[in-house]
Amino acid sequence: MSSHSAEVAADFKDALQDLKLNSRPEISNLTIIAKENTEHAQAISRELETHIRTTRPEWKLPALYVLDSIVKNVGTPYTVYLGRDLYRTFMDAYVIMDSGTRKAMEGLLKTWKQPVPESMDARPVFQPEVTRDIENALIKFRTVAVQQQALSQRPGMQQNMPARPMPNVPWGNTPTPPQNVPRFAAPNDPRVRQPFPPAQNYGQYPSTGTPPVQYPAVQPSPQPVSSLDLEQLKTDLAKLIATTKDNFASNPSNVSTQAQLKALLGLETILRTQTLLPQQLEQIRNQIQLSSRPTAPTPAFAPPVSAPAPVIPSPQPQPLPNFPPALAQLLANTRPPVPPSSTPVPASLSLADMLRTVTTPSQSSSAPPSMPSFYSHPFAPVPPPVSTPVLVPVPAPAPAPAPNMATPTANLAQLLARFNPPAPTPASSQPVPLPQFLAQLPPAPPAHGSAEWLLNALKGFGTSGTPVNSTPVASEPMTRQASAPKLQNEVELTTASMKMPRLHLISRLYEAIPNICVTCGRRFESTPQGREKKARHMDWHFKVKDPDAAKRGIHRSWYISEKEWVEYQEVDETSPDQVSNGAPGAAAVVKKATKDKYVSVPDIALGRAPCPICQEEFKDHWLVEENDFVWMDAVKVNGRIYHATCWEEYSKGAGIATPSTPDSVLGKRKAEVSTPASGKKVRAY
Amino acid sequence: MISLPGLNLTSAPPELLSDPQSTLTRTQDLSANTEYRFEVAFTRSLTIRLLSGTAEFFGTELAPSSAYTFQGTKGAIYTWHGCRLEIVGEAESEYTAEETQMMSYANAHFALESLREKSLHTGDIGPRVLVVGTENAGKTSVVKILTSYAVKFGRQPVIVNLDPRQGMLSVPGSFSAAAFSSIVDIEDGWGSSPISGPSPVPVKMPLVYHYGLANPEEGKLFRPLVTRMALAVTSRLEEDRASRQAGFIIDTPGAISQGKAGVYENIEHIISEFSVNVLFVLGSERLYSDLTRKYSNRIPEESVSVIRLDKSGGCVHRDETYMKQFRQAQIRAYFFGQAGDNALGPNSQMVDFDDLSIFKIIEASSEHNSSFRPGGGGDDDDAYSSGIEIYEKVTPSSMIQNSLLAITTASVNDGQEVIRDSSVRGYIYVADVDDLKKKVKLLSPQPGHTPPNAMVLGSFPEDIPGLVG
Repeated sequence: MSSHSAEVAADFKDALQDLKLNSRPEISNLTIIAKENTEHAQAISRELETHIRTTRPEWKLPALYVLDSIVKNVGTPYTVYLGRDLYRTFMDAYVIMDSGTRKAMEGLLKTWKQPVPESMDARPVFQPEVTRDIENALIKFRTVAVQQQALSQRPGMQQNMPARPMPNVPWGNTPTPPQNVPRFAAPNDPRVRQPFPPAQNYGQYPSTGTPPVQYPAVQPSPQPVSSLDLEQLKTDLAKLIATTKDNFASNPSNVSTQAQLKALLGLETILRTQTLLPQQLEQIRNQIQLSSRPTAPTPAFAPPVSAPAPVIPSPQPQPLPNFPPALAQLLANTRPPVPPSSTPVPASLSLADMLRTVTTPSQSSSAPPSMPSFYSHPFAPVPPPVSTPVLVPVPAPAPAPAPNMATPTANLAQLLARFNPPAPTPASSQPVPLPQFLAQLPPAPPAHGSAEWLLNALKGFGTSGTPVNSTPVASEPMTRQASAPKLQNEVELTTASMKMPRLHLISRLYEAIPNICVTCGRRFESTPQGREKKARHMDWHFKVKDPDAAKRGIHRSWYISEKEWVEYQEVDETSPDQVSNGAPGAAAVVKKATKDKYVSVPDIALGRAPCPICQEEFKDHWLVEENDFVWMDAVKVNGRIYHATCWEEYSKGAGIATPSTPDSVLGKRKAEVSTPASGKKVRAY
Repeated sequence: MISLPGLNLTSAPPELLSDPQSTLTRTQDLSANTEYRFEVAFTRSLTIRLLSGTAEFFGTELAPSSAYTFQGTKGAIYTWHGCRLEIVGEAESEYTAEETQMMSYANAHFALESLREKSLHTGDIGPRVLVVGTENAGKTSVVKILTSYAVKFGRQPVIVNLDPRQGMLSVPGSFSAAAFSSIVDIEDGWGSSPISGPSPVPVKMPLVYHYGLANPEEGKLFRPLVTRMALAVTSRLEEDRASRQAGFIIDTPGAISQGKAGVYENIEHIISEFSVNVLFVLGSERLYSDLTRKYSNRIPEESVSVIRLDKSGGCVHRDETYMKQFRQAQIRAYFFGQAGDNALGPNSQMVDFDDLSIFKIIEASSEHNSSFRPGGGGDDDDAYSSGIEIYEKVTPSSMIQNSLLAITTASVNDGQEVIRDSSVRGYIYVADVDDLKKKVKLLSPQPGHTPPNAMVLGSFPEDIPGLVG
């Protein structure tokens, strides 16, 4: 299939290169090429991806429209092939576009989350996982953008911004700059999500802002002596959570509020599920009282800011008297419409690259693993003498410098922190290269703020005072990682041990493997390997969905013998190579190979004898590769033509070797598998 | 068990969905840690779709967008996090239960999981689990849950079914074993053995022996076959690293848990042959107490952890009528697959009497239920030593009409023990016997010649009238 495939791909490429406008005939022409060559879908998809990646920015959008048209009008297998790398294809283009084009791209993305219009199929164009990753990245992107916007809207700096009525209230008294709220925190805007785990719809992650339904049905744990106190404590805690939530709702981009909220919710879970010692309760109560005070002790930040909850002061309010104009200009430039050009503004590009590197698809949907390091330094104190971060030419793929910052969120947090210089920034004429700068950051200084304290405290509880439970419940959401801690000896093999509720372990069956296949419910880890596995798994789903299968008359195979069974290696559909050893991924694959055997239609003189075994006639079939009419699923044995499958069954029983067709069988199998998809809208998932 | 042709036909249950069926669509909200229990008749169907949240059917998670159709099922959808289900169709009974045993079954899984982690380091065989309990205690459900969870953890446990009353990946009357590396089917019991085409749920590759009797006490087959199965499974674990580390789980018939005066010979036999080291006892206090006593004081290398698990409140009594229908459905599925997209096309063929070599299992006490046999275990200790007649060769007659023949891998001339110990290639169904023409009409799972091997005929599963239109 290779050479032919390459030709088709080359044709497709040529046609693509002529596409410079959003021209309907050209796009539909390209779609038709794709439709007629579904057997070369992989090559075509690759070509299209490359084109989108390499072409000039102003030509990317039409190419994306081609992609859109193909996935909607042809569907599989393109959705599979293009879906795999869609994140990169989309985000690479997105980050260098002007805002008008971005809007158009967002529109595209929106339609991909919905079923194909007028299609019977209720499934979205692309799988939710695919689009979700992109969406998360866009949210992060916007978060960064809005921070810049906030900066650039400082009085005297709003060069390109539409004039807005500025509130007269001094900012120092408001927790959030007002312009943030209407645009980005509309609570019911589905697109606005935290730059955080997508929560998988289980309501499990406290950070979603909705009351988590964590383990509600736990049997009421034995109340400690001070049950009255405990009730009081719970009420206080609930209040505090409510306050923090409000806070969070009004300023969703504030990571420290998130951290705090998360910690509080964790604490709540502990209170509900575990029995604590009186001293511990006392400790918690003190802390809650402390936290509930209107003024937060914020040692690290010089100017004390009053806020309703001990939120780490929102950075925006700080006046920035000596902000270098050059930076402001640049920041302002990153967001407003930039005339489309093939050489985007450097700052924008480097920022984009930065963003891209910190939000690789494999990680963006797997936020939980990244949490621990994130918490270890929320808003790590930014060294003061940096004021011109963006001016610095940043090498495109910024290497993640320190190990503890390898996680996207951490980097993002740093990034955000850098855009929000906390204190009156001492002007500095000494720009530090960004990566180097990141490397200079102290690894994980004990940050200020009550969130930190709570988290530490919670970790402590987990290991010390849990009579019921040997694992820390509270640290669960943070330690829940791909490499979950071993279960070693956690659950004893005794009758009594079986009855203990250990709801925290259930997350290993769900959240620890968050990436679910919507077709069959199988789950995959959110690691790169997990994604690869899932991609192969989806391919497999596609392969087995054979609309012609019923017509061919499928039947049950004989069981394998003892010896074969003992030596049999189960073949997982997600393992990389599903070569036929014995009966992989089902005997089906082998059977398919058999079915692809063929003989040329014999001379009329010989007559059209039916298969001697099943007495069924052979059907003529035009085989392109042979340039001849053939009988598929046929073998010639001793001058007679049998169905290959019939013969195989027969010969298996009698122990006769099946003559093999000289042609390689495997290559063709692929082609045959993909043909049914052509012509009509067949979707694999 | 004598059957006259045509006699059974009247008792054939109506298989058509001709009854008016309510297609009422309703949504069911489940709060966390509760389950929706339902029973659907064989003539009806119930379709369940997960709208939000998470839900699992005996450990296997429901996919968020798929509709699952149940027929002739008594099952439960459990949720750890709460969920909303859309339910279409009519159930014989349905209710939501708040008291479930899922936590203890999950604990059982996590306990096994730590043993598996240990075996990952030591290289030893993972947990060797036996599940026992009386009839309808939920043994198979627990085995399924443990299997599903293990698979979810990426393990590849071998599951062994020694309960002839219901087949696993095969027909009733068989013993089977298979390594599970892919999800357990939700609609179709355990899933499907390989078919000649693609299957929407990965097929499982079973090793099948034919037992051919309803109860394990009878005859001289149970223990030899257990021994044989243990041999095969242990050999497999020598070869297969993934399965070795995951260990195996054995499902058993309720009958072996009845015991005689506190002695459970068949359980003991299974434990010693498979070197079982984890024994889950479902429900029965007495069985638990007896087995604990027996296995509590053993040397560490041979220690067996005996753990009692509570019987789920969802376990219902499955009467003989239901079980019979259930078995027929399993046999039907063997030949015809599941209705709809996954239908299979078996092959009907005529063969001469001479083409068939049928070995019928001799049942000495076939008139009596074995538990009435006086004397108990003493006399069948060496019942399966050589020289004992296990089978008698029979020529086809109308007697075998409607019965199921197991095609073994043994040749016609092999000794009786060889035939007994050989695995099964598949089953054929005797649709019709023409005494005059000396022809038999067979239903074979696939086209082509039926292998000329020895075929075994037992009294179980019972005749299935009217399998062929």
